[in-house]
Amino acid sequence: MDPLVASQKVAGSGLAAQSARLRVVSENLANAMSTGQTAGADPYRRKTISFASELDRVSGAALVRVGPVGTDRAPFNVEHDPGNPAADANGNVLVPNVNTIVELADMREANRAYEANLQTMKQTQSLLSMTIDLLKGNP
Amino acid sequence: MEPVHLFNLLSLQRGWLSARQSVVSQNIAHANTPGYKTQEISDFAKALDRSASLQMETTNPSHQTSTPRTGEVASARDGDAWEVTHSGNNVSLEAELIKAGDIRSDFSMDTNILKTFHGMWLSSLKG
Repeated sequence: MDPLVASQKVAGSGLAAQSARLRVVSENLANAMSTGQTAGADPYRRKTISFASELDRVSGAALVRVGPVGTDRAPFNVEHDPGNPAADANGNVLVPNVNTIVELADMREANRAYEANLQTMKQTQSLLSMTIDLLKGNP
Repeated sequence: MEPVHLFNLLSLQRGWLSARQSVVSQNIAHANTPGYKTQEISDFAKALDRSASLQMETTNPSHQTSTPRTGEVASARDGDAWEVTHSGNNVSLEAELIKAGDIRSDFSMDTNILKTFHGMWLSSLKG
């Protein structure tokens, strides 16, 4: 396979991986305050994502594969809120172990990596069109 | 008539630049993969040396040549990394984008040389 086509394929797999990461970040942010439904029930647990390398046998390039989405085993935060339906006998509520600041930092990093992948994809496209443009302009 | 080496040289360099571009985009795609080490392709002088040396003739697509033509991929030396994260990943997006810029300017120069010389060739043929 042409290296430039392989390059686009790899950049595409990078884009897919980073957008999966953004999806997980937004799930975490959206559920940052999702408590359990019944008294003492566990709230939403923060999700984590991991990437791995996977050899594409057609092009010989290493694509990015999204690993299994795991959960963060960190302990839940506890808040005192007796009026909440999920509060236990002492009036304490378990709230998710999501730190909004950490999620936002992760989002910025994913954004940066996504843009870098997009940039390589654009550049590969322009290298390809430079080659194709050799065909025109010679009457 | 002297053989024209220019076009051969240009196509060789374009092949090498394409291979390098694919390695750079692989590095960028793996910017967050744990344990991934930055890859780098052997330099053009080496690819040129190898193509100038004797090659086994291939008469069938399934024949294997002794060496790839466009350079081989190897992990860059550890000292070259700009930053190493806790996960063991040493890809620096900035360094890779600088490489991408170099590739783009070289590729554009090759294309323009090719275009110009082809135009000169055509004008000499047409008289």
